[in-house]
Amino acid sequence: MPQRADMIGYLEAAIRARGVRQSVIAHNIANAHTPGFRRKAVRFEEMLAEAMASGRPRDLADARPEVFAPRTTPVDGAGNDVDLNREVGELVKNDLLYKAYLRMLAGTYRKLELAMGGPK
Amino acid sequence: MGRIGAVNPVDIAASGLRAESVRLSVIARNIANARTSRTDAGTAYRRQQVVLRTDPAGLTGVRVEQVRPDLQTALKRTYLPGHPDATDDGYVLMPNVSVPTEMMNMVVASRSYQANAAVLKRYQDTTNVALELLR
Repeated sequence: MPQRADMIGYLEAAIRARGVRQSVIAHNIANAHTPGFRRKAVRFEEMLAEAMASGRPRDLADARPEVFAPRTTPVDGAGNDVDLNREVGELVKNDLLYKAYLRMLAGTYRKLELAMGGPK
Repeated sequence: MGRIGAVNPVDIAASGLRAESVRLSVIARNIANARTSRTDAGTAYRRQQVVLRTDPAGLTGVRVEQVRPDLQTALKRTYLPGHPDATDDGYVLMPNVSVPTEMMNMVVASRSYQANAAVLKRYQDTTNVALELLR
């Protein structure tokens, strides 16, 4: 269970990753008809989980989201593997998580503020 | 691919909107010229195609590289005696535009346009949530 200061750090890292993922999905959708384009994805949560499980002292600034082309989905006649349905699904999922993280961050700050106010 | 040259989702979605609207304009031009038997070049109209490209590294969206004529599909040789462009045996070379194909491409292009517009809208919504934190 992370300490409160860590909690903010984790949330910030997750929000950063979600922001990158937003750009990646926008890029995939914009290139839905570009010949030879392979969809891109972001690797972050797995890296973070690995870093947390390893128990080594960790610096969240090092947990950078990584953009890669999975090349696992079938390509169409033009060598393109973007599936619009899938990208829109990813977009909705990403947005909901992004909003959830932002609200959690806001909640954490609110609690801190409450604590700083002390007993009245 | 460690380095992320990430561009703002707004710019990426805007590049998609631009590319799809060029595609729509070209389709409109092809349909409008489906029966144009003579252009200023002296030959029948040839259907135009949009070539899209992207930067393999980085997230820079999409760009329209060129709009080029389709030289692979043959012009349609149609029997139209009395047509001003007809040869002595009564045949006219008509454009290689296939209206059903253009209609299908139009549906695909307008759906893609909508998808890019949806990205813009979503980004706006999430940014609003982030801005609410400042209140």
